[in-house]
Amino acid sequence: MSRYLFATAALLLATATQAATYDLTIGKTPVNVTGQPRKAITVNGQLPAPLLRFQEGEEVVLNVTNALDTDSSLHWHGFILPYTMDGAPGFGFAGIKPGETFTYRFKIQQSGTYWYHSHSDMQEQAGLYGPIIIEPVKPEPYRYDRDYVIMLSDWTDQKPHTVMSKLKKQSDYYNYSQQTVADFFREVSAKGWDAAVQNRLDWGQMRMMATDIADVAGYTFLVNGRTPEQNWSGLFKPGERVRLRLINGSAMSIFDVRIPGLKMTVVQADGNNVTPTPVDELRISVAETYDVIVQPQDDQAYTLFAESLDRAGYARATLTPREGMSGVIPELRPRPLLTMADMAGHGGMHHGSMAGMNHESMAGMEAETIDHSKMDHGSMAGMDHSSMAGMDHSTMNHGGAANAEQTPANQVKPNPQSGLYPTAANGGKFLIYNDLRAMTAYPGYRAPDREIEVRLTGNMERYIWTLNDEKFVDADPIRLKYGERVRLKLTNTTMMTHPIHLHGMWMQLDVGKGAFNPLKHVISVLPGQTVYADVSVDAKGEWPFHCHLLYHMHAGMMRKVIVDDSGASI
Amino acid sequence: MNYFMSSPIKALVAVTTLFFSISALADAGHADIGKPGKASATQRTVEIVLGEMYFKPETLNVKAGETVRFVLKNEGQLLHEFNIGTADMHAHHREEMAMMMQHGMLTPTGINPERMNMDHSQMGMGSMKHDDPNSVLVEPGKTMELVWTFPKSGALQFACNVPGHGEAGMMGQIVVSP
Repeated sequence: MSRYLFATAALLLATATQAATYDLTIGKTPVNVTGQPRKAITVNGQLPAPLLRFQEGEEVVLNVTNALDTDSSLHWHGFILPYTMDGAPGFGFAGIKPGETFTYRFKIQQSGTYWYHSHSDMQEQAGLYGPIIIEPVKPEPYRYDRDYVIMLSDWTDQKPHTVMSKLKKQSDYYNYSQQTVADFFREVSAKGWDAAVQNRLDWGQMRMMATDIADVAGYTFLVNGRTPEQNWSGLFKPGERVRLRLINGSAMSIFDVRIPGLKMTVVQADGNNVTPTPVDELRISVAETYDVIVQPQDDQAYTLFAESLDRAGYARATLTPREGMSGVIPELRPRPLLTMADMAGHGGMHHGSMAGMNHESMAGMEAETIDHSKMDHGSMAGMDHSSMAGMDHSTMNHGGAANAEQTPANQVKPNPQSGLYPTAANGGKFLIYNDLRAMTAYPGYRAPDREIEVRLTGNMERYIWTLNDEKFVDADPIRLKYGERVRLKLTNTTMMTHPIHLHGMWMQLDVGKGAFNPLKHVISVLPGQTVYADVSVDAKGEWPFHCHLLYHMHAGMMRKVIVDDSGASI
Repeated sequence: MNYFMSSPIKALVAVTTLFFSISALADAGHADIGKPGKASATQRTVEIVLGEMYFKPETLNVKAGETVRFVLKNEGQLLHEFNIGTADMHAHHREEMAMMMQHGMLTPTGINPERMNMDHSQMGMGSMKHDDPNSVLVEPGKTMELVWTFPKSGALQFACNVPGHGEAGMMGQIVVSP
């Protein structure tokens, strides 16, 4: 089916290089990922959906037929295009009714690694996602001998709506790692009785659990649709440079990716070239892409190992000089425990937070910067997190301890006290946002005209996820004026990581590099973290702005952004 | 040092050169990579363009013992290096360059003279200076020169060891023919 697709596209390319037609049919296809027969939602019968290869400058025509018995859609993630072609139902696009064909037409105005997925009815979770490669007009600022897509995803045998309703009924339904009595006594022996008790009390008061890293468990993690056992493999000859296009097409899963024995040189983030950065490991959040170049020198198989952030499992692929070889599969690292530092957005620096802290790692800190005296312990102890979501934390003095690594504001680094602090398995370099530097200066760079704060908010126990405490259905749109430049202040008041996605316009993440700040379509905001991103408002229409964790978006963590000439303020 | 280059940052490089080259010369002891040549002995001039992330041309054919004057034009937007050595030497120098980048001695687009000339011995970095005679740093838009006398034989490469650049393809082969 895909061969047919490419044959058609190739034929058209040969005759008229600047316009190609793609025929895509959304349907259900029997699959068996876990041993249980299930039906996946596919494009042209494929899971993941077929790789689409576009040319920068090309006028594409995509005839998308919906063979499902429910509405569907395809959204071109990260694309700069007219909003009516963006493929998000309710945003100047009605979706595709069962049996109907919608024809998308737009000009490709960018290049790099992207992806597409459904924006309807949580169909991404059921398989409706696929990779896109856009070949650039100009030569790329790096060279390679081979080019592979590594599309990561999370498969569940359950229907997405079943997952959602279980989350609504009992938010920790999938938290298989709840701490047991045995864990408690281990903690007692490690920290002492009082500290261990206090730690439990603190978490109890927060109505959260230290093991709440990911909402949903029971996933099988896939590379290009293959399970770890099915072991997707890519060939190389020793000494060749291999470009890997990492795409996280998961519904809910963030991965730490490494290839033991190889440095990965990051050359692109979210489709945009960055100054090449060699790393040992990187964290790819939901809906992000990273392109890396590796150069295996030895005649051996190498394992690409992508652990889920909660260490519940892994996706695996193999780079090998010959078919049939496989490398050593590392052990999963221990499941991380969130610390009170991950509660920074909740004022996590009250006295109890010290119990969970690793004091060794604090050795290098200036003692005088840890000032708890200004904090009101009394009023915080009894706090219910649901009521805290609406609080303004900007006036809180975190004493420089929890946020020591996050000042100045444009240093986008994880908090060393966080339970999710990224540490490379080999002790080497772990990519962080602060490492990203655009290869070329952004022509639209200038001081922002105004700032809009968007707090990432939620109530875990009730599985309500919101922006500025309002669900999508209840909230007014964010109105932006065409031509203005807006600074988004993204403040994560929750203890989960939220990959925030804006359709139709780039977010220029402030990492202190001015015009060379990287352009992103997804910014993953860590628990308790505040980041800033500037948007040149250069696309009129209605655009979704949301958390790309599928069930968070579905629960209400989304806004409509309206761009017009008036731009009445919110 | 006059064989080195003729450009406005010549003086800077000359200064930094004094500090830097010890490690590379030590390495050079393991493999004969040739030596700095005298401008007067130049038999041939080769122009090499540096950019993101390439050398043009990326293969060099030299005769055994030949002295070549390299004219190195950086037409890119980033700082680049032209470095003659073996694969092992390049791998080692890459780590040094990564440390220099980390300590702000080098930035993505240039050399920070203040940081470069700081005494880094207190930082446990030893002789951390970019002054290897087999290497030239070329800032964006600049042109530098290097005169090099090649050995009788050897498996040599030229590379840019600015972190990530060699990995992304900025490397070339030197074929020494008898």
